[in-house]
Amino acid sequence: MLLIAASCSKKNDPQIDSAKFVRIYDTNKFDASYSPIDVKQTPDSGYLILANRRLPDPNFFNGTYLLKVDKLGAFVSELEVPDDKVAPIGPLLEASGKYYFFSMAPGNYQTQLSEVATDGTITKTLPVGGSYPSAAFNDAGNFVLLRYDNVAKQSVVSLVNPQGSTSKSVSFTIGEGNGVEEKFISHFTRTGRQFPFQVGKTSAGKYFFNGFYKYTFSLVFTDLVNKDPLGVAQGQQADGGFSQLLPLEGSRYAAARFNFGDNYLLPSVTVNENGISSIVNLGGNNLPELVQNAPVKILSLKVNEKDIVLYSSNTKSKQIALFGYDKTTGTFLGSHYLGFSNPFEIASATPTTDGGLAVCGITYVAGKFSRICLFKLSKADLSNSFK
Amino acid sequence: MRKCYLFILVLLLSSAVLAQEKRPPIPFNTSRKKANANQFIEQQWWLGFKAGINWAKASPIKRYTILTPINYDASLVDKQYDSFKEIGFQTTIEITYYYHGFYFSLQPSYINSIFTYSNQLKWVNSANANESLTQTYSQSQKVEYADFPFFVKYDITGRNLRPFVQLGMFYSVLLNAQKSVTVSSTDVASGGTNQIDSQPLITGAKDTFGNYWGFTGGAGATYQMGNVRLTFEANYRQSLVNIVNAKNRFSNDRLSGIGDAQDDLNLKNIVVSAGVLFPMRYLSTSFKSNDRN
Repeated sequence: MLLIAASCSKKNDPQIDSAKFVRIYDTNKFDASYSPIDVKQTPDSGYLILANRRLPDPNFFNGTYLLKVDKLGAFVSELEVPDDKVAPIGPLLEASGKYYFFSMAPGNYQTQLSEVATDGTITKTLPVGGSYPSAAFNDAGNFVLLRYDNVAKQSVVSLVNPQGSTSKSVSFTIGEGNGVEEKFISHFTRTGRQFPFQVGKTSAGKYFFNGFYKYTFSLVFTDLVNKDPLGVAQGQQADGGFSQLLPLEGSRYAAARFNFGDNYLLPSVTVNENGISSIVNLGGNNLPELVQNAPVKILSLKVNEKDIVLYSSNTKSKQIALFGYDKTTGTFLGSHYLGFSNPFEIASATPTTDGGLAVCGITYVAGKFSRICLFKLSKADLSNSFK
Repeated sequence: MRKCYLFILVLLLSSAVLAQEKRPPIPFNTSRKKANANQFIEQQWWLGFKAGINWAKASPIKRYTILTPINYDASLVDKQYDSFKEIGFQTTIEITYYYHGFYFSLQPSYINSIFTYSNQLKWVNSANANESLTQTYSQSQKVEYADFPFFVKYDITGRNLRPFVQLGMFYSVLLNAQKSVTVSSTDVASGGTNQIDSQPLITGAKDTFGNYWGFTGGAGATYQMGNVRLTFEANYRQSLVNIVNAKNRFSNDRLSGIGDAQDDLNLKNIVVSAGVLFPMRYLSTSFKSNDRN
């Protein structure tokens, strides 16, 4: 009888362990501080995380940190990137089995492109030129880069290939004077407001950037040829604008906007890509539970055989909130909250090959220590939350 | 897994049924009335009620952690499980069939067990060793089960005082689970020594556990008092499978938020019970239940 009993014992199921987990990556260094930027699932089903790390004084900028974990979230390796690569930006850009990220050289603020292997090691770093990289986008293996030219005081959109060569570039003035530049500098030194810079490409093939143009945080459309924008959706100087956009089809977007601290989610909104328009007039679902000027990430994924857009953001109760909407109709499907007790903040989310979702963020262990956390939600979790 | 449970249940039941099927032959030179009496008192049904206390200990089968060390040994965040520290309680209905010296006993119970564990985390400022933070997480886990043990019991000797040994298997159905977490911190990084003891975080944890089964065995004694028996016994019981619901290990945001993920566990109990047993069959009003068995 006992033999039969033993043979029927519950066994550990690796699929269960990899489908759902929560990890907080801790170091016993009292003064260490990490702030993740992006997470990507690697071909070995593990995860590669790009993060900021605090550099000791008198560094003005954050350093770079890479963390590799396995499919169960267990620690594999870390790389405290030398401080010649500061202020890294996401996302991790995948091309030909390698990952890339832009960062800045601390002395001359010049942009550089680093190539990362799937094991989290940097295999090469290439100079790109131009200062203050602000946002990047993967355009089918080439990279669209938004940066700030602190000499000409311009927002610059460029097309960069994985070899670091720039093929197209167009610049747009941020306005005269130092008012807007101060905002850039406080953003890069992380001493002030973190602006939701973004660059991307519409479904019709136009490029856009979400950044400063003529004193105002605006959504600017460009063909990377004309010096004048194709269209501008204006915010309210630095107090209003888009927090994040995901092109859907035509001129329809899933978007989020901020306005004097308030946050609005617009799961299906038509944006005027030609001429001048105002972001303030776009309305949207006001979510008072989100922190002021909340960072928002928007993903497109399939749940229950249905295409949804998934918003992730930070709540005033220090949780990470996920809101799901029907991609076609914009109908609200459900929400899911992550974290409790200690504060949690969103950095990035990515769909996983098993139909689940990996959500990377910051938590403050013991309320003090800024550490990287990784939530892995199973396919069933998503199905239950976003019906 | 369900097929296994069913198979074991069928085996248990069939063994009980087979035990009842064996009928001793009536001796050749015995009168029919006496033979009937012998046959009658060689079998007996007992119904009883018992209650008592238990101590529990959880042993990790496989360890899980939310706090994942990068630059220090992972074993430093392992949970340290206490041995049989907290007291739980149980109540039992005993239904026993006696046949030729052996007792076959079904003893459905309510059992409430508490096991405890803790882990400690420490951060030290490498530039100033006097700056440090130490946190101790003390966790008390209460689990409640409807227990269905089946025992085979044997009286060793005696008439009025009868020591016995018993061995059996059980299946436990989860009724409820609750966890209490207390965090105490010693912070010497704020200009002095700051001792902080949090209020316990109490949260339901039923989803993180599941039904399980195992073996049980022990010893005790019954004492004949009139027509009833007083019983006192001590048993050891141990799960033979993981008691944790692996699918829900990380589903409780309250626990995940403070860095607690339930290890895969075996649960062990030392169970002490006392009670009274009543015979269910009588030959006559003068019949004493210990006349033969």
